[in-house]
Amino acid sequence: MASITQPEPAEIELPRSRGHWRNVWAKFRKRRLAFASLIIITFIYLLGIFAPVIQTHDYQATDLMRTQQGPSAENWFGTDRAGRDIYTRVVWGIQTTVIITITTFVTGSLFLGVTVGLVAGYFRGWIDAIIMRVGEVVSAFPDILLIILLAATLRPRIVEFARNVEDSTGISGLVSSGIVDYVVIGIALLPLSWFGMMRLVRGQVLALREAEYVEAARAMGTTTPRILFRHILPNVVSPIIVSVSFGIGAIALSEVVLSFFGLGVQPPRPSLGVMIGEVTARGGASVSVLRDHPEQLLAPIIVVWLLIFCWNIVGDALNDVLNPRAR
Amino acid sequence: MLAYILRRLLWTPVLLALAAFFVFLMGTIAPGDPAELRLGNRATPERIERERERLGLDDPIPVRYVRYVAGVLRGDFGESYQYLGKPVLSIIGPRLWVSVQLNIAALLVAVAIGLPLGFYAAKRQGTGRDPAIVITILILYAMPVFFTAPFLILFFAVKLSWVPAAGWGGFFSPQIILPALTIGIPGAAIFVRHMRASTLEVIGQEYIRTAHAKGMSNFVVNYRHVARNALLPILTIMGFTLAGMFGGSLIVELIYGIPGAGRLSLDAIFQRDFPVLTAFVLLGAGMLVLANLAIDVAYTIVDPRIRLQ
Amino acid sequence: MIFGMALSLVLIAAVACTGSSESPTEAAAPATSTPPAARATQPAIAPDLQGKNDSAAAVGDSGPKRGGVFNTLWSDPPTIDPHLVTDGTSYGIVIEVFSGLVRLGSNPANPFEPDLAESWSVLEGGTVYEFKLRNDLVFSNGDPVTAQDFKWSFERAANPDTASTVAEEFLGDIVGIKDIVEGNATTAEGIEVVDERTLRLTIDAPKAYFIAKLTYPTAFVLNRNNVETLGRNWTDDPVSTGPFTLKEYRIGQRIRLARNDNFWDRNAYLDEVVFNLAGGVAMAMYENDEIDITGVGLADLERVQDPTEELNKDLVEVPPNFAVSYVGFNINEPPFDDAAFRQALNHAVDKQLIADQVFSNLVKPAYGIIPPGFPGFSSEIKGLEFDPDLARDLLNQSAYADPDSRPRIVLTVPGTGGSPGLTTEVVADMWRQNLGIEIEIQQVEWATYIQDLHRGRLQAWSGLSWQADYPDPQTFIDVLFRSTSAINYGGYSNPRVDEYVVSAQTEQDATQRVQFYNDAEQIIVSEAAWLPLWWGVDSKALVKPWVQDYRFSSLTIAKFKDVWLDK
Repeated sequence: MASITQPEPAEIELPRSRGHWRNVWAKFRKRRLAFASLIIITFIYLLGIFAPVIQTHDYQATDLMRTQQGPSAENWFGTDRAGRDIYTRVVWGIQTTVIITITTFVTGSLFLGVTVGLVAGYFRGWIDAIIMRVGEVVSAFPDILLIILLAATLRPRIVEFARNVEDSTGISGLVSSGIVDYVVIGIALLPLSWFGMMRLVRGQVLALREAEYVEAARAMGTTTPRILFRHILPNVVSPIIVSVSFGIGAIALSEVVLSFFGLGVQPPRPSLGVMIGEVTARGGASVSVLRDHPEQLLAPIIVVWLLIFCWNIVGDALNDVLNPRAR
Repeated sequence: MLAYILRRLLWTPVLLALAAFFVFLMGTIAPGDPAELRLGNRATPERIERERERLGLDDPIPVRYVRYVAGVLRGDFGESYQYLGKPVLSIIGPRLWVSVQLNIAALLVAVAIGLPLGFYAAKRQGTGRDPAIVITILILYAMPVFFTAPFLILFFAVKLSWVPAAGWGGFFSPQIILPALTIGIPGAAIFVRHMRASTLEVIGQEYIRTAHAKGMSNFVVNYRHVARNALLPILTIMGFTLAGMFGGSLIVELIYGIPGAGRLSLDAIFQRDFPVLTAFVLLGAGMLVLANLAIDVAYTIVDPRIRLQ
Repeated sequence: MIFGMALSLVLIAAVACTGSSESPTEAAAPATSTPPAARATQPAIAPDLQGKNDSAAAVGDSGPKRGGVFNTLWSDPPTIDPHLVTDGTSYGIVIEVFSGLVRLGSNPANPFEPDLAESWSVLEGGTVYEFKLRNDLVFSNGDPVTAQDFKWSFERAANPDTASTVAEEFLGDIVGIKDIVEGNATTAEGIEVVDERTLRLTIDAPKAYFIAKLTYPTAFVLNRNNVETLGRNWTDDPVSTGPFTLKEYRIGQRIRLARNDNFWDRNAYLDEVVFNLAGGVAMAMYENDEIDITGVGLADLERVQDPTEELNKDLVEVPPNFAVSYVGFNINEPPFDDAAFRQALNHAVDKQLIADQVFSNLVKPAYGIIPPGFPGFSSEIKGLEFDPDLARDLLNQSAYADPDSRPRIVLTVPGTGGSPGLTTEVVADMWRQNLGIEIEIQQVEWATYIQDLHRGRLQAWSGLSWQADYPDPQTFIDVLFRSTSAINYGGYSNPRVDEYVVSAQTEQDATQRVQFYNDAEQIIVSEAAWLPLWWGVDSKALVKPWVQDYRFSSLTIAKFKDVWLDK
């Protein structure tokens, strides 16, 4: 994940590219807070990625003789009402967040948003008009509502489909592995992640397509895809990076909200949202839990909190470094 | 510009019609049957069939959609499936009003905290206080509501008994305080950020330096020139914030037991109360579109160099 | 059936969502109409038979005081038309406002009390019931209540236009009602108005439980003029006969009941009862004096049980309500078509341990179907106790001993509305640890859940509990397990069980009748039609010290008429 914020110069072929990115990186490193945030983010994500290795227990193993324990050497963050180890569940929950963040960004923001934005901006005309209008319709819905509506209505259909696939192909574990959950959440979060990115890219492209070097390329008979991906895209990378870094925190939070309502990740697989929803009985017991067993509520919440905070700091810094003219 | 506004206004109904159609589509994809939900699990299949007929659920989607649109054009948003016999508007209206009041209160909190703090931070740029303020406010901004809400309740309602823990008593009741803080404090971050940025920009302008040079007092320069000019762009942000709050206070309404629109729309999704949901989407989308348009127009008034086309 | 509609357990439901408890009750489903979010906490104060005899001193001093407002949390009732009520949330409001011939009382030995009828007699070998109405009965607006009103009300409840889903169930025994329900008639010859004050009901066969059914709101009396003038919106301003009248109902916000000064009995003491429908964190609201009563959820249990806590003084024991929660199996789908497999699952779950450790003994492990204290409960029923070795043996004997040939098992829980199923997760883990059986847990929204349940599409399900509608074992055994019952969702079918419950329907000898039900129950339990989990829920509540004569009961009865505030 962290690589999104550490642009790989090798992938970009632009006259100024290599030196430019090295320069950006150097400036970014000078911002101590942002750099520290990036390290924290990397650390958190590494915890999630290596969850199977660093877990101290089995995330679904209940131990009814050790329920509601406070933090101890055995259970670093204590145990929940079913005697499950909270530390283990948190790191697995982070893994869920990592997977969802990646799938959502890869499918939604990066793939769909960037491509559609490029197309709309470059071709303009009716293609652009249609895309923009569709986008407006989608973005006219209140965010959270649309996400919940999509998750609620699509999930059973997708699960049904996956089970049919399992039955007909003999592949097992498609549903139980959680892949289906990720697909559902990814689709539900699409509208959130897609339109903003598209609009951003489109705006940049609209400006760039008139640039001299693009006109020159066109005059030389360069094919359209080549112009789009070789000449225009690399110059849109900076704003994309900034936008992605601001958006990732929101994605983590959206997963929490969906799982809180039981529409996200399915038990026994832990996720930060599932843990928060479970321990607070969907909000109602949150005050009591905070008072009597704060570690159960705080463990997942602090992770979400840190992620959102750090991504904002990083986004801010990148914004300054990459778009010196912007405020 | 008039032509532009006209074009945008003409597009709005089309957008709304598409949004409504989208909800209809979701309604057919979604499992769960409003008639069945309403009647509960003791209903016989014939009963459910009769109920479906009564609710008009048996007709094909295009027919229902056209019927719905025709109704809306006459100002009739239909009747709720869940609360049978209640016109949708009579259900949504009061709930929406609650949410609007709550969000205005939250906006006031955000503005009251955010603007002075942002201004102060900008004036103290270069000292340790500026980053301290920015970081603090970002920490508050990132704070998940799942923590803020129970924390505020525990501290201010249960421990100190200063304010009620939950419920709704209108804009001027003490019950609004905690939820308004819960939404408003993270919201303040946005205002700090923008106020700080726009103040910094204004401070750098020639006329401020001129004012100082003329020997105007610091106070006058600060308040007459800097603050006032820095506020202009903030206005538009307020507009966005208000429009965007629609439905955003869902979890806050849930935990504080506030009978607002967020709760209602969530119920409508889970109860498959599509008339209520559709009306809600239409109103929300309409407000958002109009808010955007108003902002665009406001831009041209604030800054005549901007032309709408 | 249930008092809370079928699946819906009100209390539970309610509780599950917000404040008062996360609890065991999570097991229960949300009321049908209840979206998750929405469900507020209705303090689950159902139960208790003996009531809370508090502070004799205070009573001695001054006697009940008139006036005051009682505040409580509730959830939005799906309806307040008595004839449409099928769920406990609506029921709890409706019985405070409306009333009928007979009502449930708090004496479990003889739970039926005369209400608007001062007396009744059973004639013709049990097929004719003659009710004598009280003198000078009036509606809240002063209109007289006559036998004619009852006839009209019953017929209105059955009329297809009313769209009651339970009219046939509760009134269908009366001769002629079925014809109305089917749309072939508008009046029932089985309802005879003898004179202004005498009503005679003829039923199709002698049925011991008929009087019980008349306590359900479907049999409540409405004011014809009121209903016909206001049409579908008559519940906005209903005329009623109960201890309170509906003063204000704002959907999603609150319901205010005001004292009915035309009530036939002693008028209520309270000026108003306010049901807050918007929810909130119940415990915090209680501590902050915003509500006068709340159920205690798991999260707060430890604290309120601590004698040094101030709240501890308000703690009231609430005997469990008459409900049973369970894991249901679809008997027609492998692997649940094999009784040995189902028995293995039953024996593999240590319910006592879960109750102790996870639910702080707020729930009572169920080894049968009919809850203790309920008419027809028998301690003789032999349940499938925890025995992992036996469970493994049974699994090996079953047709699904080999994990490779075992079909995928999906256990569905309603994921929105209640809390996610902690019970389910613990039970699933016990199956995993004791039997090596891996299952998938699937949370679905309530809307999807109920649809799939009705269609018999769920392989196994959890998150439901069944609460008694009226004190008769029929409400459990017959309704849930007769092979032709519409809500026998698991498709359980055993000819002997069918035979027993059919015989019990008309059996006049009470002991023999209970015996039939117990025999049927033993078969059901032994064959492991379900995995019964808990009896009753939420057995603790907090009541503010100034609340007097608030009586809990295991069946929901009108209780605010006796409540008074000493402050």
